[in-house]
Amino acid sequence: MLRLLGKPRSAIVLVLVVFMSATTGAPFSVAEIREPDGLWTGPMQGETPSTLNGARVIDLAELVALLPQQPVLVDVGPAQKKPEDLPQDRLWLPTHRSIPGAAWFPGAGAAVLEPAKEIIFFRRLEELTGGDRSKPLVVFCRPECWGSWNAGKRLVARGYSRVHWFPGGITKWQEAHDVRQVTPEKGWGPEQ
Amino acid sequence: MMRISRRTFALGIIGTCCLSFTPTIAIAQADREREERWQQLVSYLFDDREVVPTETLIKIEAPARAQDAALVPITLTMPEKDKIKSVYLVIDDNPVPLAAHVTFGPAADAGSLQMRVRIDTYTNVHAVAETKEGRLFSAVAFVKASGGCSAPSGPSDLEAMKGMGEMRLRLSEPSQKGKSTAATLMIRHPNFTGMQMNQLTRLYTPPRYIEKMTVTYGDQTVLDVAGDISLSTNPAIGFNFVSDGRQSMKVVASDNKGGRWESAFDVSANN
Repeated sequence: MLRLLGKPRSAIVLVLVVFMSATTGAPFSVAEIREPDGLWTGPMQGETPSTLNGARVIDLAELVALLPQQPVLVDVGPAQKKPEDLPQDRLWLPTHRSIPGAAWFPGAGAAVLEPAKEIIFFRRLEELTGGDRSKPLVVFCRPECWGSWNAGKRLVARGYSRVHWFPGGITKWQEAHDVRQVTPEKGWGPEQ
Repeated sequence: MMRISRRTFALGIIGTCCLSFTPTIAIAQADREREERWQQLVSYLFDDREVVPTETLIKIEAPARAQDAALVPITLTMPEKDKIKSVYLVIDDNPVPLAAHVTFGPAADAGSLQMRVRIDTYTNVHAVAETKEGRLFSAVAFVKASGGCSAPSGPSDLEAMKGMGEMRLRLSEPSQKGKSTAATLMIRHPNFTGMQMNQLTRLYTPPRYIEKMTVTYGDQTVLDVAGDISLSTNPAIGFNFVSDGRQSMKVVASDNKGGRWESAFDVSANN
């Protein structure tokens, strides 16, 4: 039944379920977020599912255990957007720190990606994996970031067989490890 | 013979270090990147004037891990307060790194200052004291917090702007003539960063922040505050002033969109 309702509405239903359980006096619990059938088109920040069909969901310990296999680390965290009417005399100097060795594609998890961008994204992944679709990949941004879920979904659909989704992202990584300053991948541009 | 054995010993030490302290080397690299970032900021913000680390002229206190990245309390202490002309607060990895510049006037006690700021990612926070001689000294703290600049400010922009410009001034104790008194000034203002997206409309709320606050006591200046988007919603500033027992305190605040507000407070000793 829930599935029939489609993507954006399922979130509303979940909210209602949670709300109803709260109002009827049932113990308040956060309902499981279901995977959308395709890419997520709702608000990009918010609670994400605990699964990603076709990919493995990993925590920090599992990521660390995977590192010796030299996975391709794909950071899709958004770049900071310069406020439109920020006065000229203000120093605007954003920086982005990530897991050392990560390739940064800001915003590559958007529900709608320009075709040209999608081509660049896949071509660069092709290069980074040396054309090996079974090379381990790790996609991430920050917690509650649908962008990394979507990017993982894209890579699974593209035929990569060992996609790992690390929902803890940079936030969890930097709890225990160092981060390195990164700039967007060549040709990708500082898109949001 | 002696030389060879020494060298062997030295190589042995180096080898051991490399094997067992690889993480230390990685940390050193990360630290170097943070230091490079700071030097870059120094050249932009202070026109390449020398900024000297200090243990004595300014101290910064910040939570190692912030509970709310949009509301991180910072305390600056300037033990040799009579030497201090102004202080800068710089949040290194915030996209607009300069959070505030506070200049002390003749009615101020420049011994300490409290502010609440937004922190966007794990970052160094630098406090820089400018002495009356025009020299710059810095202290640093590392703060673990993330998302402070983009954290939504509430249900709606209109809601967040309700009562904008209302001020409150609280004294920690009744002022006493000739003594330093601690005060906290709060002004209701969303201090929109321009990086906050409305999740429903997916539009960014334009930046609207307190640009300037001037606190005067009688006809003397206590503080001049130049603010920015890194100050928290409802900016609050804690400071000290030297009471003469009778004057009232006046605050004038303005934001980057032309908002201007004035309030006067009775801080006399018999208050």
